[in-house]
Amino acid sequence: MPLKWRISIIVALCALSIWALFPRDVTVRTRNAQGVLQNETMRKVPLKKGLDLSGGMYLSLEVDDSKQKIAPSAKAEAIDRALKTVRTRLEGYGTSETVVEKQGSDRIVVSIPGISDEERARKLVEDQAFLEFKITDKTGALERALPKLDQVVKQRGLAAATRAPGDTSNATLSPATKGLQGLLTSADTTKGDSAKKVASAAAKDSANEDSLKLQAGGAFSSLLQAGNMPGEFYVDNAKAPLLEAWLEDSAVAAAIPPGKQLLPSTDSVTLQGRVYRAFYLVDSRPIITGDYLKGAQPNQGMEGTVVEFQLTNEGGRRFRTETGRNIGNYMAIILDGRVMGRPPVIQSAIGTRGQITMGGKSLADAQDLALVLRAGALPVPLRVAESQKIGPTLGQDSIDKGRNASIIAVALVVLIMLVYYRFSGLLAVGGLVLYILYTLAALAGFDAAITMPGIAGFVLSIGIAVDANVLIFERIREEMAHGKTVRTAIDEGFRHAMPAIIDSNVSTMLTAAVLYQYGTGAVRGFAVTLMAGIAASLVTSIFVVRTFFILWLNRSRGTQTLSI
Amino acid sequence: MLRILHDTKYDFIKYWKASAIGTIAFIALGIVLLGVHAVRYHGEALNYSVEFTGGTVVRLHFTQPVEAEAVRSAVDAAGFSGSEVTNFGGLTDYMIKSPPAEGAVAAQNADSVGAHIVQTLKERVPGNTATVQSAQSVGPRVGAELKTKALTAILISFAVTLIYLAIRFEWRFGVAAVIATGHDLLTTIAFLAMMRLEISLAVVAALLTVIGYSLNDTIIIFDRVRENLKKQRKESLRDVLNRSINETLPRSVLTHATVLAATLALLIFAGEVIRPFSWIMAFGVFTGTFSSIYVAGPLLLWIEHKWPRSTDGADKGQARALTEERKRERAPAGVR
Repeated sequence: MPLKWRISIIVALCALSIWALFPRDVTVRTRNAQGVLQNETMRKVPLKKGLDLSGGMYLSLEVDDSKQKIAPSAKAEAIDRALKTVRTRLEGYGTSETVVEKQGSDRIVVSIPGISDEERARKLVEDQAFLEFKITDKTGALERALPKLDQVVKQRGLAAATRAPGDTSNATLSPATKGLQGLLTSADTTKGDSAKKVASAAAKDSANEDSLKLQAGGAFSSLLQAGNMPGEFYVDNAKAPLLEAWLEDSAVAAAIPPGKQLLPSTDSVTLQGRVYRAFYLVDSRPIITGDYLKGAQPNQGMEGTVVEFQLTNEGGRRFRTETGRNIGNYMAIILDGRVMGRPPVIQSAIGTRGQITMGGKSLADAQDLALVLRAGALPVPLRVAESQKIGPTLGQDSIDKGRNASIIAVALVVLIMLVYYRFSGLLAVGGLVLYILYTLAALAGFDAAITMPGIAGFVLSIGIAVDANVLIFERIREEMAHGKTVRTAIDEGFRHAMPAIIDSNVSTMLTAAVLYQYGTGAVRGFAVTLMAGIAASLVTSIFVVRTFFILWLNRSRGTQTLSI
Repeated sequence: MLRILHDTKYDFIKYWKASAIGTIAFIALGIVLLGVHAVRYHGEALNYSVEFTGGTVVRLHFTQPVEAEAVRSAVDAAGFSGSEVTNFGGLTDYMIKSPPAEGAVAAQNADSVGAHIVQTLKERVPGNTATVQSAQSVGPRVGAELKTKALTAILISFAVTLIYLAIRFEWRFGVAAVIATGHDLLTTIAFLAMMRLEISLAVVAALLTVIGYSLNDTIIIFDRVRENLKKQRKESLRDVLNRSINETLPRSVLTHATVLAATLALLIFAGEVIRPFSWIMAFGVFTGTFSSIYVAGPLLLWIEHKWPRSTDGADKGQARALTEERKRERAPAGVR
C-alpha cells in the first residue's frame, strides 16, 4: 500500500475518532404523549458515565406471578408491552438519561442516573395503574351474606388468626409493608401488640356503641360496621389488613354476593377518636376502565389534591350512557383494586371529564398518578427482582481513583517501552496514543457507558495492547541478529509475528464475545471495552506503527541502524 | 540495545516434576481452605457477593471512626441479625451484607434497608453521621440464575477456544492449551479461597480475562513450537519446546511487565470497589505465565508420547499449516 494512502487512512481514523468523541446535537423522531411524531433534538454526550460512576438507581423488574399463574409465552408478550408502558412513565418523570431496556426475554431493566428518591421511582414502575369505575351496592347484599361469610371464616380456621398476634403480623402482607418484609421484625411485633390492645378495646367499645355496631356474632361480621352510605363499611384500621387477607381466600371470595366485590379504600375516617378504614361493596363489572383514558393532569382543587382526567370520544359516549343510567347511585373510582377516596354520588350524566380525589396526598403524588394514568396500565403486575442505588460521592471517588490508576498505568507502560526499545519504543508509544484515541472513539460508537469495571478493563488493555508491539519488535531483533538489513528485518519481523498476534487476539476476542453474550450491566461494559481495545490494538500495532517505521526508513536513507 | 534474557538456553522442561508437585500442592491447599471456610462460614465455601446469593448489601460512610462492634450491634438491633459487617479502608467505611428474607421472591427495598440502619445508628452512636454510599438488593431467584449464567459463560468460552485452537493448530495443541487454562482456573479459585475474596460479577469478568490472557501466552509459545517444528524435523519435541520457550522469553518478560504494571496501578490506586478484580488479575499474570511454560509444555509432550504423530512427522493439520506457511514464504515481500 502506498505510503500516502497509509497516512491518509490514519489521519481519517483520527478525525473520525475526534468527531465521535465530541458532544453534538442529534435529532431523533419520537412519538410524544399524544402519539404524534415529532423531531426532538438532544445533546448527545459520548462516553457518558455509568450508574456506578454517576450515582443513581438501577432496577430489574420481572413479572409478578405470585398471585396468578402466567404462562411463559404470555409473560414474554406481557414484558414487551410493559416495557413500553414503563418507558413512557419514566420519560414523563423528567430524567432524560433514563434507560429502560429489555433483558433476556423476561426482564426489564431500568437505570435512572442521579435519582434521589428510590421509593418514588419504585412505585412509579411497580404500580400496575389499572383504573376502573364501578357502582357501589345499594341493595344491602353484604348484610344478607354475613351469616354465610362468618361460617366460611370459621370453617377455614381464619378466625384463629385474630387471637394470635404473631399470626396476624404474618397474615398482613399489605402492599405497604411488602417491601419491608422480614426486615422490620421488631417493629412488626410491636404492631401486633398494639393490634391486640386495639382489638380488646374494640370489643369493649362495640358493646357500648350500638350506633356503629352492625351485627354481633361471627368473626367476619364483627369486623364490619355500617358506614354513612349504602355499600360502605368501616373497619378498624388495625384490622383492615387482616380483612384484606381474608378476602383473598378463595372460599371467602365465593361467599361474597355474586357479581359484587368488597374492596378497601385508600381513605380512613376518624370516628369518636378512633381510626377506621372504609371498605366498599361494588359491582364486579366496571362501567368503564382506564383503557378509554386520553389524558390526566394533577391539580390543587377545593377538596385538596386531585387528578383531572379526560376520556376518549368513545369512552366519553360510554361513560355518558352508563352514568345516565345510574343517576343517584355512587360511583367508586378504583385504582389497582383500591377505591380512591369516597365514591361521589352521580348527579347527572357525566361526559368525557372527571377527577380523582387524592385526599391528603401531596401534589407530587398527584403528578405521579397522572403520569402513570397517562402511560396506561401495565398488562401484568411487575415486581423488583434486583435494585441498586449508588450515592454520588462514591461515584466521584471511583472516577478520581480510576483516573489516577489510568494515568499511572500509562506512565509505567510508556517508561518500560522507552527504556527497553528506545527509538522503536517511541514509535510504539506514538501508536499507544492513537490506541487510546481509537478505543475511546470505538466505545463512544458503541454508545457504551463508562463503568468502574470498564475503566479497569481499559487500564488493563493498555498493558496488553503493547504486547503486539513487543512481539513484532522481538522478531525484528531476531531478524537483525541473523544479519539481515534493517529494512528486511522490519519487514520480516512484522510478517513473522503476524500468526501469533492474530491467534492470540482472536482467542481473547472470542472470550470477550462470550462475556458480552452472557454478562449483564457492568460486565457487559467490561466486555465491550475489551473488544474495542483488541480491535484498536490490532490496527495500531500492525498498521500504524508499521507506517511509522516506513516513514522513518524513507527519511533516513543510506546506512541505517535501528534503535530497538 | 538493552536486552534481557536474550539467547538463553534454560532447560525449562527439566523441572516439570517439581513444578507439578508445587502447583498441585497449591491447589490442594486451596481445596483444604475451601473445606475450612465451609465449616467456619456455615457451608459457604466461596464468598459469593449478593449478586449471586441474593440479599441486601449496604455500604456506609461515617464522619468519625466507629468500632465494628458498635456497627454490628446497631445492625442487629435494626432487625438484620445474621448480617455480615465488614470494614474497609479504616474505621469510617463499613459494608453490611444481609441474607434475603425467608421465603421472599422479590428484592428488598435496598434504600429503605440502608435508611433503617442509618436511623438506628443515629440513635445509638450520636454525633456520628452515617451516609449510605450504595445499597444493592437482589432477589434470590436472580442470584441463582446468575450463578448458572457465569458458569455457562466460562464453559462456553472454553469450548469456543478449544474449537478455534483445533482449527488453527492441531488437536494436541488445543487440548494442552485448554487444560493449562483449566489449571489457571483451579489455581485462581485456590487463590480466591486463600484471600477469601468476594466473588462478584466483576471478579468473574477478571477470571475470564485471566483465562484469555493465559491462553494468549500459551498460544505465543505454541506458535513458536509450530514454526520450529516446520524448520527442524530432527530435533526432539522436548528440545523444540525448550528452544521455543527460550526464544519467546524476552517477549514474555516484557509483556508481563507491562500488564503487571497496569494491574499494580489498578490494585494500588483504583480503590476498594475494584480491588478483588485487581487481585485476581495480578495473580493471573503469574499463574498464566507459569501454566504456559510448565503445564501446557509438559502436557504437549505427554500427549505426543501417548498419541504419536504419523511417521512422516506431520499429520493433516500440521501439513495444512505447513503449506500455508510456504505460500506466505513465496509471496513477494515489499515494505511498502
